Amino acid sequence: MNILYLLIPLALVLTLSSVAAFVWAVRRGQLDDLDTPALRPLLDDEPEPPRR
Amino acid sequence: MTQPSSVPCAHCGLPAPPPPAGAPEDAPSFCCVGCHSVYLALHESGLDSFYQLRDTWSSDPQPAQAPDVAAELAPLLDSEAFLNEHARQHEDGSLSARLHLEGVHCAGCVWLIERLPELMDGVLSARLDLTRGLLSLRWDPAQVRLSQVGQALARFGYRAHPLRADQREVRNQGLGRLLTRVGISWAVAMNTMIFAIAEYAGLSALSDAGLHTTMRWLSLGLSVVAMFVGGSIFFRRAWASLRTAFSQKLSTGLTHLSIDVPIALGIGVGWIHSVYNTVWGQGDVWFDSLTVLIAALLSARYLQLRGNARAADAAERLYSLLPRSARLLRRADEPTSQLRERAEAVLATSLRPGDLIEVRTGDVVAADGVVTLGRSEVLRALLTGESRPEKIAPGQVIEAGVTNLGALLHVEVRATAEETRVGKLLRWIEDHQSQRAPIVQLADRLGGIFVLAVLGAALLTALVWALVEPSRAIPNAVALLVISCPCALGMATPLAMSVGAGRAARRGVHIKNDDVIEALDHLTDLIFDKTGTLTVGQPTVAALEGDEEALHLASALESHSSHPLARALVAAAPPQAGFAPLPTREVEEHTGRGITGRVGEQRVAVGRPDWQLPEDHRWRVRASEFAARGLTPLVVMVDEEPRLLLGLGDRLRPGATELVARLGQRGVRVHLVSGDHPELVARVGEELGIDNARVRGGASPEDKVAIIEALRDVHPDATVAMIGDGVNDAAALQAAHVGVAVYGGSEASLQAADIFLMRQGLTPIEDLLDGSSIIMRTVRRNLTGSAIYNVFGVSLAALGLVSPLVAALLMPISSLAVVASSLSQRSFEPRPPRSASPDAANAASPAPAPQTPSPLARESAA
Repeated sequence: MNILYLLIPLALVLTLSSVAAFVWAVRRGQLDDLDTPALRPLLDDEPEPPRR
Repeated sequence: MTQPSSVPCAHCGLPAPPPPAGAPEDAPSFCCVGCHSVYLALHESGLDSFYQLRDTWSSDPQPAQAPDVAAELAPLLDSEAFLNEHARQHEDGSLSARLHLEGVHCAGCVWLIERLPELMDGVLSARLDLTRGLLSLRWDPAQVRLSQVGQALARFGYRAHPLRADQREVRNQGLGRLLTRVGISWAVAMNTMIFAIAEYAGLSALSDAGLHTTMRWLSLGLSVVAMFVGGSIFFRRAWASLRTAFSQKLSTGLTHLSIDVPIALGIGVGWIHSVYNTVWGQGDVWFDSLTVLIAALLSARYLQLRGNARAADAAERLYSLLPRSARLLRRADEPTSQLRERAEAVLATSLRPGDLIEVRTGDVVAADGVVTLGRSEVLRALLTGESRPEKIAPGQVIEAGVTNLGALLHVEVRATAEETRVGKLLRWIEDHQSQRAPIVQLADRLGGIFVLAVLGAALLTALVWALVEPSRAIPNAVALLVISCPCALGMATPLAMSVGAGRAARRGVHIKNDDVIEALDHLTDLIFDKTGTLTVGQPTVAALEGDEEALHLASALESHSSHPLARALVAAAPPQAGFAPLPTREVEEHTGRGITGRVGEQRVAVGRPDWQLPEDHRWRVRASEFAARGLTPLVVMVDEEPRLLLGLGDRLRPGATELVARLGQRGVRVHLVSGDHPELVARVGEELGIDNARVRGGASPEDKVAIIEALRDVHPDATVAMIGDGVNDAAALQAAHVGVAVYGGSEASLQAADIFLMRQGLTPIEDLLDGSSIIMRTVRRNLTGSAIYNVFGVSLAALGLVSPLVAALLMPISSLAVVASSLSQRSFEPRPPRSASPDAANAASPAPAPQTPSPLARESAA
């Protein structure tokens, strides 16, 4: 069971880093608008050259 | 060759007249000049793929804005004052600001707008929040001015408004902070639960004392985070509630204690006990239950606040629709022509009563006032919902928000900004938003009682077992605390509602505030605003008299006009199959009167009866009868000979009568309250079979609110829903328990309502009622289920029949059951077609949405 003494801190570090990532995302406003980003991948193509 | 009566406009998809004879087969058609110029602008910029992308977000065509409307804002956008207030300076000298964009509604808009940096030098980045219509712009002031960007946007048909105050920012920041707390609370709760499960699985002070102690201290450490990050909110609010309660008379105060008090008490007592046990290394700790409870309750609160913030954003947006600038005239004793040259654009907020402003054609009036010069026609739709233009002459009162359709007007300002009629109306909406009694949060209320009950039961269990069998007292109490599942109860309501709202959104019914679902379930009164709700909302030929052949001549002539009445005429008489379109020449429009021209060899004139008909003609009488019925009379003259009299007006939406009947069967009292002419409204009410006593015409926005309040006074337990589409209904939409804005309504009223119906027609209204009762059924099922589970679980634990380990296994299972129940609800599923379905009838309505496949569909088909 001694392995737990290593795994628990590891789990806590993981938790801490995910919380940090979450806080960062909220601060950057990444969760403010949940609809538009889903559309962006569809839009990133280069525009077609003008037909005329 | 058969030719359709109208073709979709190549830009916006609304019906447009077919291209003139002789034009190439595939020549694009346009419904208006605006669309044409946007189309050309897109082609010139090489942005043709706009049209492929347009439909990915929304298949609802919207008329494009006329270009150059933003030109008015140009001086304002560049002014020092504006930039100081709204723009932020970056280190490299660039500026960034946020603007409201009117008219964004689809993926094409996002694509187009976010391409601005490629199209304009000096624009560094452009990000669009589609749902809120918010553009975040960053630009280099050395290369480009903000007004130039505004004009470029206007060329594409988007009108940029400066944001009003930055209250929105404050709100969003508050929400963001709460979301952070929710996230941290859940992370802490999950980790604490892992430690707890280890303990229930057999880890004890006897099996591994060191690890046991470590885990307890770690749980304690994590719970401190939860208490500070999440619990502090409950403690603060509980403290505030206690202080208010004790400052009042004790008997009344205590009954008004907020649910935060028992929550805070439960959390506090449980935590102190657990800390005590940890420190002395004895007994049991409840950190897991406490942290999960905090996280679950915070989540519910976040979901609720997010709904409220969206609603508050709405009122802000209403303000942004009022003009920001006005053209101020310096008072001088000079001829009018000179005055006009001296008009200068100023901020609307800088106007004072007594100032003289100039209102040009197409302008929206910025302040309430009195017309001093000019005769014109104005559109009061924003205030009164009246969709027909009204005449205005010197001496008459004109309000902010009114659009001038005709000649130049001079207006003496009487009231500005918040003092104007529309300003007062909007402020009223804001006030009521904060006053509006929130429907008691079921989850919170139950959560509070739940904690008390569980703590009480745990205490009782421990006491009784201590007397009967002291060694089992603590495990049984622990099992009880663990098996009781706060998240099943805490999430039962919000989860079922948000799943239901998500399903509704996919069916084109947008529910902004979840709490209205509960109100809809026991709806007693439904108030319809006639215009655009029960009627089609655009003129059609409703009455015909005389020679119907003349209609084809008239329609050939009117196909050259973009006037709404002209379009109605064209729709009524499609060019016949197998006939070439009649050649027309010498077409001349006479503003406000009609149109003349030659069709074939005949001289045709279409217009107002008093323009063409002789004074004593019998149709003059008929025309006034039409007018009394709310129809606009038109007369068709062929070679100076009156041939046909037409009455154009709104007609009922298909299926409206059936809907009213079915609502009656449901036990919902249907009302009809409209700003339109009383006679007209009475006639519509009669047609629909609505009780005369519940029909009211000529109602002002204030009247509508008064009617709703009267309804609530007469039937205290009534639940009132208001369905409307105009900005003038915004206050009423707020006053009702449930405000529903329908498709085709102005953007502003959509924002003020709780619910917004994207689909055309009336079926969404029934969908909404059916759907919300199913959602509430799911909520009740969830609550009953988890209540039964908890009662059984707690009883079994109290009787000592459950071990802590089984309790730790049962608890997450109960949570999963709630999630599964919420996800499997059958709300807002496509309904089977009814015989004589309103939807089928709708398909034949004059504005069918062209269903272009999305680019993805197109690719897979290729």
